[in-house]
Order: sequence, then C-alpha cells, then structure tokens
Amino acid sequence: MTVNAFSDEWATQFKDEVNKSAAYKAAAKGWKWTVGLVVEAEPDKHFPESRGLVMDLFDGDARDIRIGSAGDAQKCDFVITAPYSRWKQVATKELDATKGMLQGKLKLKGDLPTIVRYTKASQELTECTTRVPTQWPDEQ
Amino acid sequence: MLGGLIEANVQANESKRQDFDTLAARVGIWVTDIDEGVTLVFESGRLSVYNGLEPQRTITIRAEAETVMSLSNLKIGPFGLPVYYDGVGRGVALKLLQGKLKIDGMMANVTTLNRVTRIFSVQ
Repeated sequence: MTVNAFSDEWATQFKDEVNKSAAYKAAAKGWKWTVGLVVEAEPDKHFPESRGLVMDLFDGDARDIRIGSAGDAQKCDFVITAPYSRWKQVATKELDATKGMLQGKLKLKGDLPTIVRYTKASQELTECTTRVPTQWPDEQ
Repeated sequence: MLGGLIEANVQANESKRQDFDTLAARVGIWVTDIDEGVTLVFESGRLSVYNGLEPQRTITIRAEAETVMSLSNLKIGPFGLPVYYDGVGRGVALKLLQGKLKIDGMMANVTTLNRVTRIFSVQ
C-alpha cells in the first residue's frame, strides 16, 4: 500500500522493512543508539513543516520507529539532517547516503567513528526506505 | 567529515594521538564517484583540511566513497599494521589489485601510509 512520505504509516512500513532485512540484522549487530532523521521543511515542495523520524535501533532490530517533531529527532544519539528533497533523493536511490554524508549534503551529528563502523548498516537502512511504496507530496 | 573523523579518533585513543603527534605528511583523498576530495595536511600534532587536491602531496588515495569508508574500517593488527586478511582487509586488497583503489606514493611511503591508516581507522 502506498503511503505518504514521512507519515506515521510510512514509519510503520519502514520499521517492518528494517525488521525483515537479514542484511541489516547482520550489519547492525552491536548497535545500541537512537537515530534521528530531521526532514527540513520545503514549503515550495508541499512539505510545509519540518518533521523528525525517531528510530530506536538495538542490536540489529528496530524496536520503534516513529514520526515526531524535528526537536524529538534532535534528542537522539545520532542526528542526520537534510531538507525534504534531499531525503527524497536518498529514498529514491538518486543519492547514496554515504556519499551524501561525505559531501556534507546530509549533516551528521554524533560520534563519527561509531557511525563509520556501521556504514553497511546505514546503507541497508537506506535500502529499506527504498522498499516502502511512497507517495511524495511534491508529486501529488 | 574526514577531518572530524580523525579528530574524534585522536581524542579517543592515545596510540592514535601518538601517531598524529609524529605524523608530518600531505595526504590527498579523492573520492572518484563524487568527483570531490580533500587534502589533509598533518604537521606533527596539527591537521589542516583543504578542499580539493593541494600540491606536494606525500600520498594520494583515489577510490569510490564506499572504499574510502572501508579504509576507515581496516583493523589494526600486530606491530600496528593494517589487517588485510579479514573480510574488510581482503576487500581493500582486492580493490587495490583491481585498480579500483589507487594510492600514489604508496611504495616510497609505506610507513606514512600505515600511520595514516591507523589514525583513520575506527576499529
């Protein structure tokens, strides 16, 4: 079922995809930190308010993934921030998340060595977003 | 990001700090699939990061973003040498053999390369 990008339903489907992924489970063994994605508003793209995706990820499992405010996401151990259209590029495989971070297109806050240690896990998380059938607000 | 990674590594690990304090080298890193790179200028305890490739580099590493991340994930083994026999190490060695990872100045600067790898490694 197609769901609106960064909605509660999208977060639920994304969580299901993460928990179905054997590749993520293997790559994220030992991960025990929360991750927040801040999706910055772009009113001209019909995404009028910033939102946060709050992910409680533990040892290869997604215990909880929910939509909150940008402030909620910013309280996480790791925070990745980008405008809506950048996240859309990531979720549609137009932009590789690792390259995006290297280029500063995705702003990362948190312990860099830890996130680099889990590069494969973050790549697989990105892959999971691409598996959620998504309706993008700027395409409606 | 690479500068921040080195800073965090050096702050968290005394042996990396010792390497950092003694390293004097100009290291270029060119990420081939984004066509961007940096030059890391190590001056015995000081690091300057420049966008692009600056002249007079000691070593220049050219690879795709994923391989650059793999270099950061190389384990450091006995005698402070990078481990090339585990999964990540074999992957890096294969990229070298296939020409997908190029390191200009490697042969003449093996000690420097090993020191840079130790500072860069998050393992």
